[in-house]
Amino acid sequence: MSQSTTHLKQSEKVDRFAGLMFCSPWIIGFVFLFAWPFAASFYWSLCRFDLINPPEFIGLENYRRLTSELQSQKGFGLALTNTLYYSLISVSLSVVTGVLLATLLSAKVKGQAIYRTLVFLPSVIPIVAASVLWIWLLDPESGMINYLLSWIGIPSQNWLNQSRSALSPAGFTEFSQWLQGGTLNLFGSKDALILMTMWGVGNFVVIYLAAISDIPGQLYEAAEIDGANVIRKFYHVTLPMLSPVIFFNLIMGLIRSVQTFASVYVLSEGTGEPGGSLMLISMQLFLSAFADFEMGYTSAMAWVLFVLLLAATTLLFRTSKHWVHYRTSS
Amino acid sequence: MKKTNILIGILFSLLVVAALLKNWNHEQDPENSSGRSEVIFWHFWGGEDRDVVDDVTRRFNASQTKYFVRPVAMPGNNLQAKLFLAVAGGDPPDIVNQDDPVLADWGQRGVIQPLVDIAPAAEVTEIERWILDSARRLSTYQDKMYGLCNGLDIRALYYNKTVLEQHQLQPPRTISDLDEIANTLAPFQSTEKKQSYGYIPDSRRLWAWGYAFGGDFYDASSQRVVVDSPPIRGALQWMASYAQRYGSDNLSAFRQGDQSLPGKTFPLLPLDDQEMSGRYSVIMDGQWRVRNLAAFTHNRQARGVATPEFGVCPLPIPETDSPRKNAGWVNGNFFVFPKGAKNSEGAWEFAKFWIGFTDPSQAAKTCSQGGWIPVSQTVTQDPQFQTYLDENPLFRTFVELSESPNQFPIPSVPGAAFFRRTIERAAFQAFDDPNADIDKILKDAEQQIQTHLNRNDNLRDGGRVDP
Repeated sequence: MSQSTTHLKQSEKVDRFAGLMFCSPWIIGFVFLFAWPFAASFYWSLCRFDLINPPEFIGLENYRRLTSELQSQKGFGLALTNTLYYSLISVSLSVVTGVLLATLLSAKVKGQAIYRTLVFLPSVIPIVAASVLWIWLLDPESGMINYLLSWIGIPSQNWLNQSRSALSPAGFTEFSQWLQGGTLNLFGSKDALILMTMWGVGNFVVIYLAAISDIPGQLYEAAEIDGANVIRKFYHVTLPMLSPVIFFNLIMGLIRSVQTFASVYVLSEGTGEPGGSLMLISMQLFLSAFADFEMGYTSAMAWVLFVLLLAATTLLFRTSKHWVHYRTSS
Repeated sequence: MKKTNILIGILFSLLVVAALLKNWNHEQDPENSSGRSEVIFWHFWGGEDRDVVDDVTRRFNASQTKYFVRPVAMPGNNLQAKLFLAVAGGDPPDIVNQDDPVLADWGQRGVIQPLVDIAPAAEVTEIERWILDSARRLSTYQDKMYGLCNGLDIRALYYNKTVLEQHQLQPPRTISDLDEIANTLAPFQSTEKKQSYGYIPDSRRLWAWGYAFGGDFYDASSQRVVVDSPPIRGALQWMASYAQRYGSDNLSAFRQGDQSLPGKTFPLLPLDDQEMSGRYSVIMDGQWRVRNLAAFTHNRQARGVATPEFGVCPLPIPETDSPRKNAGWVNGNFFVFPKGAKNSEGAWEFAKFWIGFTDPSQAAKTCSQGGWIPVSQTVTQDPQFQTYLDENPLFRTFVELSESPNQFPIPSVPGAAFFRRTIERAAFQAFDDPNADIDKILKDAEQQIQTHLNRNDNLRDGGRVDP
């Protein structure tokens, strides 16, 4: 009996060792490529560090600087405001547009596959190529976007050469003056970036389409028997059934929007200009780290960003119980 | 099916053998196998310039029994991070070419070595005297040379002589002359959109106009940023006055249009054979555009199409009691020698060969090939380069300007990249908002830059680095 127990223990040990060996590539990767840099970046956020010389501990100085820049709306403050503007508008618009497009594309009409391909196609174009293409599309003098706007009576916009934004006090003033017969220069570089992001909404649409096809047909049948029209079916069946996917896309969209870098880099030629309007947090991080060599300050900025994203995600999770409806077996 | 697989297998094997043979051949290259000490040279040149770089390297290698230079083309983006990692990892290149204002940052952080650490002090002193003021300023930090300038970029005004003559206008010598040209060719009073302008300032060029107006951006003696000074304010007010006169939205849209020209054509050039003027009649640009003008003129003449005549003049200056003549903003390429490099001596020999210190005729050949401005008058005076100037008379103005004592770079201080960004953003703000308070914009910029520089100065040893 005792021999058997010992034997089992040895076999457990061997199993455990083998298991650890199988897991070791991941464990090593996690420790050296994630956990250590994660912890090191927190230590560096409390240091003055330029990549070459040893980090010098300076306590909370970098965080004090971030607070002061937040108040003065320079540096980190400006970048955070720009990122908030871009993230809030682009994520909201991509959710609304994505759901609406997916609903339209789920309708059984002739050429459905072609329409779906057309909507998804921009998502497969490399981001750098797409950005260069948008620089042409948004050209104030010969770009196609201004040409299309002229059809609906909107005068030529400066887009990438303008620091103002449409949804800002200055934008509202400009718009009201235009209604009274003034000129209109409403859309700026951040609006251009949002427009470009919307072009790649096909990624989200594919997920919504999959979710829509998964909604049980009997729910629509029941709604029809109850006399629901198309709009009521959308509000009372499609939207609630899509809410888990909307929630997922909201979180992923938020994270993705804060990480947006390549397109901003190309559109602003790596400067975050004009007038600092394309200085999103990612660009500010890049320039602080690799142009100004302020690794400590950059790490502090990254940690604040991490905390803000965590807070936003937590908030979304907390509110989700009020509007996200998961399908239950009952 | 089997036959196809065998065929694919044979083709694949042939490819592998060919690749191995190629590599073996490379290793057996007589130039490589002569047992000379290798110098690793990082540069970012591509296109036509790459051929010139390869040729200089070939000539140097042919002249040497001791050293062999191996050029490595590195993309310019993020070169700093790559170099920092190479230095930190203990395997840096021996010599690096750079054109961003990073010399002071790298020097302060100990990424690169001062020249006196790699070369005899007497030779460094001699070179300091031998190169032009503008070239020396580009390679000096805290009165020590940390690099060796190997080519200068000078800005001047290009003008369409034919158009100016049609309107009885002369090339501008003063700011008033330039205003007159702009007003004549595109009247200030009219705010409607225009197809072409006489002249409009570019907000990114406050560096050039600030110096031309007699200003300085930094006082090295007191280590203070002096952006909010009457000359710089005057320059920015004058530049922004164009945005007020023509409408800032019109100007920014027009400027954006320059980026969309096919092949990024020089906007001074007419786009159409029927036209004699381009989007501008006067525009600020660097010496590299001389090549574009020559190619354009040659192309039109070969097809028998009427060609406008072009000219180049120094930046006009305000009419003051003590004008700063031939002033402007200079930047350029410079060699730096990373700390921890294994063959700094070989790198130094190569750098001296490149700039023509050891043999001016070699540098004269390089500059003629690339359309580059020499860094020493000795090279300029070489008969080969004089022939090049005779063939390209527009280039002569740039060479003369490079010899002016009034050509200044972005201040060589740690944090120069931030300095540059902040100045250009301030100028954009003044351009973008016609009602902007220019004094406040410059004061804000000055304060931001000073705070940043102080922070940088305190980077090492917990205190200000002594000059």
